[in-house]
Amino acid sequence: MKDTENRNVFKKAESAVAGAFRFIGGDVKDIGVTFKEGDYKTRLSFLIMGFGPLMRKLYARGVAYLTLEVLFIFYMISFGWGYLKDIGTLGTIASGYNPDGTRFYGDNSFLILLYGVLTVIIILFFILAWRMNVRENRNEEKLIKGGGKLPKTREDLHSLLDSNFDKTLLALPCLGIFLFTVLPIIFMICVAFTNYDYNHQAPAKLFTWVGFDNFMNLFSFGSEGFGSTFITVLGWTLVWAFFATFLNYFLGMAVAILINRKGVKFKKLWRTILVVTIAVPQFVSLLYVYKMFANDGLINSYLLKWGLIESAIPFWTNATLAKITIIVVNLWIGIPYMMLIATGLLMNIPEDLYESARIDGASPFQMFRKITLPYMLFVTGPFLLTQFTGNLNNFNVIFLLTQGGPQSMDLTGGAGYTDLLVTWLYKMTINDTNYRMAAVIGIMVFLVTAVISLVVYNILPSVKDEEGFQ
Amino acid sequence: MKKKILCTLLAATMAASLMAGCGNDNKTPSNSGNDNNNESNGSQQEITDYGEGNITIWVADNVTEFTKTKAEEFLGSDPAYSGYTVTVEAVGEGDAAKNVLTDVEGAADIFGFAQDQIARLVSAGALQPVTGDYAAWVEAQNDAGAMGAAKVGDMAYAFPLTSDNGYFLYYDKSVVTDPTSLEKIVEDCEAAGKNFYMEVNSGWYQPAFFFATGCELTYDTDNDGNFTACNTDYASDKGLVALKEIIEMCSSKSFQNGSSIDNGTNIGAIIDGTWDSGVAKSTFGENYACAKLPSFEGSDGQKYQMSGFGGFKLLGIKPQTEAGKLQLCMKLAQYLSGTEVQVARYQEVGWGPSNLEAQADSAVAADEALSALAEQLLNTIPQGNYPDEYWQLATSLADDIIAGTINGSMSDDELMEVLKNFQDTCISYAK
Repeated sequence: MKDTENRNVFKKAESAVAGAFRFIGGDVKDIGVTFKEGDYKTRLSFLIMGFGPLMRKLYARGVAYLTLEVLFIFYMISFGWGYLKDIGTLGTIASGYNPDGTRFYGDNSFLILLYGVLTVIIILFFILAWRMNVRENRNEEKLIKGGGKLPKTREDLHSLLDSNFDKTLLALPCLGIFLFTVLPIIFMICVAFTNYDYNHQAPAKLFTWVGFDNFMNLFSFGSEGFGSTFITVLGWTLVWAFFATFLNYFLGMAVAILINRKGVKFKKLWRTILVVTIAVPQFVSLLYVYKMFANDGLINSYLLKWGLIESAIPFWTNATLAKITIIVVNLWIGIPYMMLIATGLLMNIPEDLYESARIDGASPFQMFRKITLPYMLFVTGPFLLTQFTGNLNNFNVIFLLTQGGPQSMDLTGGAGYTDLLVTWLYKMTINDTNYRMAAVIGIMVFLVTAVISLVVYNILPSVKDEEGFQ
Repeated sequence: MKKKILCTLLAATMAASLMAGCGNDNKTPSNSGNDNNNESNGSQQEITDYGEGNITIWVADNVTEFTKTKAEEFLGSDPAYSGYTVTVEAVGEGDAAKNVLTDVEGAADIFGFAQDQIARLVSAGALQPVTGDYAAWVEAQNDAGAMGAAKVGDMAYAFPLTSDNGYFLYYDKSVVTDPTSLEKIVEDCEAAGKNFYMEVNSGWYQPAFFFATGCELTYDTDNDGNFTACNTDYASDKGLVALKEIIEMCSSKSFQNGSSIDNGTNIGAIIDGTWDSGVAKSTFGENYACAKLPSFEGSDGQKYQMSGFGGFKLLGIKPQTEAGKLQLCMKLAQYLSGTEVQVARYQEVGWGPSNLEAQADSAVAADEALSALAEQLLNTIPQGNYPDEYWQLATSLADDIIAGTINGSMSDDELMEVLKNFQDTCISYAK
């Protein structure tokens, strides 16, 4: 089953790649045909964008294309080219001091990389615009040949508020997403292929491309390599996400079932008590819990005082105990949320299902296994998945409780035994200014999250069998 | 933060694209080599026109007001400075490097920092060298330890502010009977059910043991702040004695890893610095006492006086692009680290001066905690520059000991293996 699925995925990818090539090939051919069959207006439009539409009195489109071209050329000359030309080396002139003791700044690798990437993307967009310009000419010619009427400028502008209103509305959000999400992501991915770290910090020092060195470092298992540490941290990240998600899920559901049972009194009171933990900000409660379990904290002090233990229990300083403590503390935070969700869902399960089961002589456990659980899994499947990926990157709990400690001589890069990939990444950027390895870890976090989400999403019952419970 | 930078950058892009032709052309090509050694600077020629602008200063929270008053006093002292205003913001000395390095061009013009960050700042090009007359002045005014800390290679990069970043013992007189012996302190604390605090998993406190037995751990740096060599002999018999002592101390049930009186509970004794003297007084009340660090009896039967780092707070200047502003920043930093202001700062917040004349001031000389520190500082090694990874590594070593991964049941050979590993890793940081 799995195998065929995998094969399907590969096949899909293969056909997608082939399709892309075919598309590009067709596109180039189409451009050629346009040039060959086009009149002089169309042909000149290959050089002067918008020339054709202008000559055909489509002023709005023509001016738009022409302005685009002028702006692009202006941008490249005044700004873009200055950065783009250095993107191969990321700068060669280092900063230094003038004879009078003042500073002069040389090439800024950071800005070269950032604006270089920006310029490359702008060029790609320009090529796209140029292609649209060519197609525009082709369409216009076809329309004229076919005896159709070209739209008037006013109609063009009006369509932006009517049939093309979606484009008008989405222009600004798209620009925002591009500037604040896509560009930084591309930039960060690029950093993973440079030596941008504490010894190469812009603007004073230059950094440059190093190819796959950082990735090799991540997977090298020597004494200085990150390999074994990465495996350890990744392993704990997965274990943590698993327990944090499923223990919370099942225990939360159990608590909800318990409170929902007939014959339990003060239901609202119990729920309120549990919800109180949500009311206190995690910042406060987790720091407090950390202090409580510390070697000199409340719990150890009292256990010692009462003579129950000989020496303090190392809740945070012993790696294994620390991991267990974190998971348990996380239960305390997570169960109330899950209980709230489960309470609502459980009330939704049709009572007659249970009734008929009871008549057939099913035990409570059987009813749970055959009715409650399938229903819950079906409804909360996507929620579980988001919980799991959220827990893979659950910065708060780990950082507020242990900051990733205890560290060990066996781990490199300042990692601790309770570090998740994200907290490790955070420490690397903030404490060690090791941006290049942090960028690599960032890519790894993305890969892990993406693979798990995709695989799990595809086997979810709620996705496979959408109408299962209707 | 990144996004903020990005926003600024993108805003700058727009602005830049409006002003045509301002690509990379206005770079100064005359001086592209490494001219850190350039001794001739503007300080010789008196500048009368400093231009105008704003000088930002980052200092610790508790001296923000103080620094603002003093800086404004300085700017008011000469009409030539009248074009400038000053903004003082609270950024702790421990975080200064972090904040400066995140965005050098947006950082404060003058900032206070703990001296363990100097190498990192210099290697990122975030500190203006102190040259010419200023270098001579700094050298003459401050104690040798502070000067050593303000230098990278043989170039001074900062103005020392304090010589009080060291640690010593605060203890409860009613619990600790003999503050000169570590074993006795631990024993007394155990007997009284009190805690003995030392933050042994910090690379700053940990060497108190290793340096005590005569081990060495220093790094050589070139003038650019790159680490060129590591001088260390942790993997030796001396190191073994120190490691065993740490293991023994950590195995006591009274031992707690920590160095903040505020966060401690049930404290019998704590190894801490002058910054906590106020809290210490109120915590111990009548039983407040302080002393230099104790000595311990090593596994080889010898007695060792605990050592450690002497540390310093420094005032650095960000490299400036305008000569006038640079000169003014230099003058202001000089004033803020001068005798008068250091004494005033001691009176205001109790920071121990690095300035020799200020140290001789009667009020400073009479301070109990500062005297204990002064006594301890005789046994310490001025803290030089260490790579960031060293601090992480030291934490790892002690975390292993506290967790019991490295413990007393291990043979000498196994412990030596640990030290060897530690030493090799330390050496690997200098390349």
